[in-house]
Amino acid sequence: MNVIETKNISKLYKQADQDIKALNDVSINFKKGEFTAIVGPSGSGKTTFLNTIGGLDSPSSGKVLIDNNEITKLNSNQLIDFRLRNIGFVFQSYNLIPVLTAKENVEFIMLMQGSSKSIRDKRSVELLKSVGLDDQLNRRPNQLSGGQQQRVAVARALASKPKFVLADEPTANLDSSSTSNLLDIMSRLNKKEKMTFIFSTHDQRVIDRANRIITLEDGKILSDINVK
Amino acid sequence: MLLKIAWRNVWRNKRRSLITIAAIFIAVLLAIFLRALQLGMYDNMINNVVGSYSGYVQLHSKGYWDDKTIDNAFEVNQSVLADIQNIDGVSTILKRIQAGALSSYNDLSKFVYITGIDPENEEILTDWNKRLIEGRLLKKDSKSIIVAKGVAKYYNLKIGDTLIFIGQGYHGMQAVGAYPLQGVVDMKNPNLNNYSVFMTLPVAQDFVSAENLITNLVIDKEQYFDENKIAQVIKSKINNQSYDIMTWKEMTPELDQLIEADNAGGILIIMILYMIVTFGIFGTVLMMTQERLYEFGVLISIGMRRSKLMITLIYETILLTFTGIMSGVVVSLPIVNYFYYNPLRLFGAASAQMETAGFEPVIPFMNSYDIPLTHSLIILCISLIICVYPILIIYQLQPIKAMKR
Repeated sequence: MNVIETKNISKLYKQADQDIKALNDVSINFKKGEFTAIVGPSGSGKTTFLNTIGGLDSPSSGKVLIDNNEITKLNSNQLIDFRLRNIGFVFQSYNLIPVLTAKENVEFIMLMQGSSKSIRDKRSVELLKSVGLDDQLNRRPNQLSGGQQQRVAVARALASKPKFVLADEPTANLDSSSTSNLLDIMSRLNKKEKMTFIFSTHDQRVIDRANRIITLEDGKILSDINVK
Repeated sequence: MLLKIAWRNVWRNKRRSLITIAAIFIAVLLAIFLRALQLGMYDNMINNVVGSYSGYVQLHSKGYWDDKTIDNAFEVNQSVLADIQNIDGVSTILKRIQAGALSSYNDLSKFVYITGIDPENEEILTDWNKRLIEGRLLKKDSKSIIVAKGVAKYYNLKIGDTLIFIGQGYHGMQAVGAYPLQGVVDMKNPNLNNYSVFMTLPVAQDFVSAENLITNLVIDKEQYFDENKIAQVIKSKINNQSYDIMTWKEMTPELDQLIEADNAGGILIIMILYMIVTFGIFGTVLMMTQERLYEFGVLISIGMRRSKLMITLIYETILLTFTGIMSGVVVSLPIVNYFYYNPLRLFGAASAQMETAGFEPVIPFMNSYDIPLTHSLIILCISLIICVYPILIIYQLQPIKAMKR
């Protein structure tokens, strides 16, 4: 079953009176449990593609369906709610809330969903334990290393029990040991919980772990390879 | 958790928040201090002239206020008194007769105002016990007089000395009399101290040959009742053709104008303070918003509703303002309270100027919860208005654009 379907999506930008096609008639499906790396040179449309399937940006034409729901028809507030309940985000610069502790950052998403305190407490501890940070619960982001922050970001992304996780260059700011550690965690979650991960990346170490590699160039799919 | 996030966000930039809180603190402190001083001074002025002597409302015969002669005295009937006494907010009604006369003692003479009073009722308004500085107060059947301390000083009077008065009585009758002194009072008002002589109402009526007549019906009010409303009700209840009903502002417009003019200056200073504080708060809110646009973009991306983000920012502004307000109020209250019980006493030229204007040269502060409450609410309202800025920014924020900054 497809978790995500895109049907002929295109995205046009106007830049200095010139139309730039960031995405050009992209149709692609993602199934549950895939561990996909989207690769391509800078400006190939990777981030635009992630933003479009994540409901952060709307396509100029075409449709995006998540679990058969067309998100391109949703308004701004509906999209926020949709993202909250269906999509986990991991950003290149972690983007944790600096005034909250690791545990509170993970709880925050559940709070937005309206979960009770006891559920929030239990799940946030579980998630931080699953990313190996059960001893850092009460530390704030500035007291954590980059790798640890990104692991908190992964735990936060999973807190809402999303249908899939979008990760935009998640290892770009990490050293090799932290990258390896993060990828181990993500692979384990992918295999154990069938969590769908979609990365945009330049990092060969991420590409090596992916079971599907989609290459974009000039907003078009150049190749779509199932590795394993 | 939104409140917790807001509180922690306030302290993300400690120095900036502390500067803003300090600005609000100083503004609130100064506003409360200045208003307590000003309103206390006005209250004292009004009390000197109005609250403890002339009353907030007076009833006279038509034309008396413009031509204060004994010929404009009138007889007030019981039904009018009863009508007025039954009005909501009226506390005391006093009958007085007042006439000017030339007083003399040994080889000195001086113009004075003789006021006939009902000693028992008068006590309620004028609090004679606190004013008596020598001798005894008048009783209902007293035949002697009491004088204000300025008159006693002028003649160097001692208790038991006799003053002679010559004046014009009712309808051209000659008013002449000699009365022994039984007490000296401090009217807490230099003008009243220099010209006041008191005797009982029957003795004064007899002096000016105006049996059963009065010149002033003094109507005092309960605290917090509006004298204008009371005057309106009296006007509607009694025959307007025969009487003039005047509030203290009409009787002493110069006092009202003095207070209004001074008050306008005070309000102007407070408004300048508010403007400075407004820019201080706005500057901080502007920075707190602009430097976090990326973060707001992230929060909206991961599923935080704009409304919740707006609430968080409103909390931040209110918490920042509230901290400043509360610290200002907490510090100002004991200061105001101290000067309420220990009024500032003026000396030298300032004292002389106050006395020349007819006021006691002291400035007691006003110790009313209204002042801190009003100024706290004004600053809180200012901060709420300032919140419109982050609300608009969040409303228009596009997460993708915000995260590209």
